[in-house]
Amino acid sequence: MATATPLATLLVVPTGIGCAVGGYAGDALPAARLLAAASGCLITHPNVMNGAALYWSDPRIHYVEGSSLDRFAAGEVLLRPVRQQRVGLLLDAGIEPELRHRHLQVADGCRATLGLDIGPVVTTDRPLEVTLSLGASGVSWGQLGQPEALLRAGRQLKAAGATAIAVVARFPDDPGSEALAAYRQGSGVDALAGAEAVISHLLSRELGLPCAHAPALSPLPLDPDLDPRAAGEELGFTFLPCVLVGLSRAPDLVALADSTAISIEAVGAVVAPAGALGGAAVLACAERGIPVIAVDNPCLLDVSADALGLEVLPAASYSEAAGLVLALREGIAPGALRRPLPALKDLA
Amino acid sequence: MSSLSLRPLLLQLERQPGGLRAQIETAVALHGRPLRWAITAVEQRPHQPALLQIEAVVVCGSDSDRDPS
Repeated sequence: MATATPLATLLVVPTGIGCAVGGYAGDALPAARLLAAASGCLITHPNVMNGAALYWSDPRIHYVEGSSLDRFAAGEVLLRPVRQQRVGLLLDAGIEPELRHRHLQVADGCRATLGLDIGPVVTTDRPLEVTLSLGASGVSWGQLGQPEALLRAGRQLKAAGATAIAVVARFPDDPGSEALAAYRQGSGVDALAGAEAVISHLLSRELGLPCAHAPALSPLPLDPDLDPRAAGEELGFTFLPCVLVGLSRAPDLVALADSTAISIEAVGAVVAPAGALGGAAVLACAERGIPVIAVDNPCLLDVSADALGLEVLPAASYSEAAGLVLALREGIAPGALRRPLPALKDLA
Repeated sequence: MSSLSLRPLLLQLERQPGGLRAQIETAVALHGRPLRWAITAVEQRPHQPALLQIEAVVVCGSDSDRDPS
């Protein structure tokens, strides 16, 4: 059990790169809970926390959209914890009436059952036209045909008093695709993730509010061989509950330090997959001298510490990473926990 | 008609000494306002700097509804 003060820790599991842990429906959440317990203060992003109908709320975990996390790591914004956000709901005009109704009922359910402050609701003035694509590396990306319509609706919500925004965009259904079948059976990339990130990045960056996205999709036929890591997305009609819960206590993004705001200077460790160290947040932390814990978490990429010339603390699992975070929190040099322990040498 | 658009990018960048993040953001910014980027491959080359593959999305054009203030 930790007795030291919390050690703010960043957990990054990049979206859409097929991570064995965290590449599916919020399946890095157990790792996040463990790291939150080890650190006492975990800052992470929706891809880690969102399990569609499944979620976990922990006051030690700060839910920060990916581009805001990048800006936080770069020292451009600070995070101010809040008791509750007022979560505006932004719906794509491309969502069919019945599916739209399902989403509104989820929002009402979260108000009635969880006590969340949700509203108002704004529908875009034209369909957002989301398309999906894969990059050269096989990583999931994606496009948005009507970015201005997204921003107009976001500004309406902000002007109406929303302090955070949950976006639901209509994504293309592709129930017969090989990629979806592979994903459902635990061997593929989340094809939706890249476009989701683009939507939430654009909105959060332009409006300066916590934002997160849930795709609107038609229900899939039953797959008896469904991988448990993808199961969270097949429990209901929408992926929205986790987004509303996450945003309900997402920290404000603020420019100036105050006594309650968390700044990057307070961060004592960043945890990321060992093959995906080439993202903005991890590089910003490494450049600041923040210890990088590189976890063996197979994914599509091989952008390792060796390839980038970074010094890292390797971890074979998130359990080991949690042990390293706890060691840092307690002021135990991680090297002292490994064998062999080389003798000290004179500085040449 | 939207005057704001999102554009995917694939760049090859020869690594230079110094901070990686600034090098990448400068290279990506030549094509638009960086929205999302990552190093997705690194090619180590004998007697030459490593070659980084960058995948990115940039924002191009101006948002006609943006408050000018």
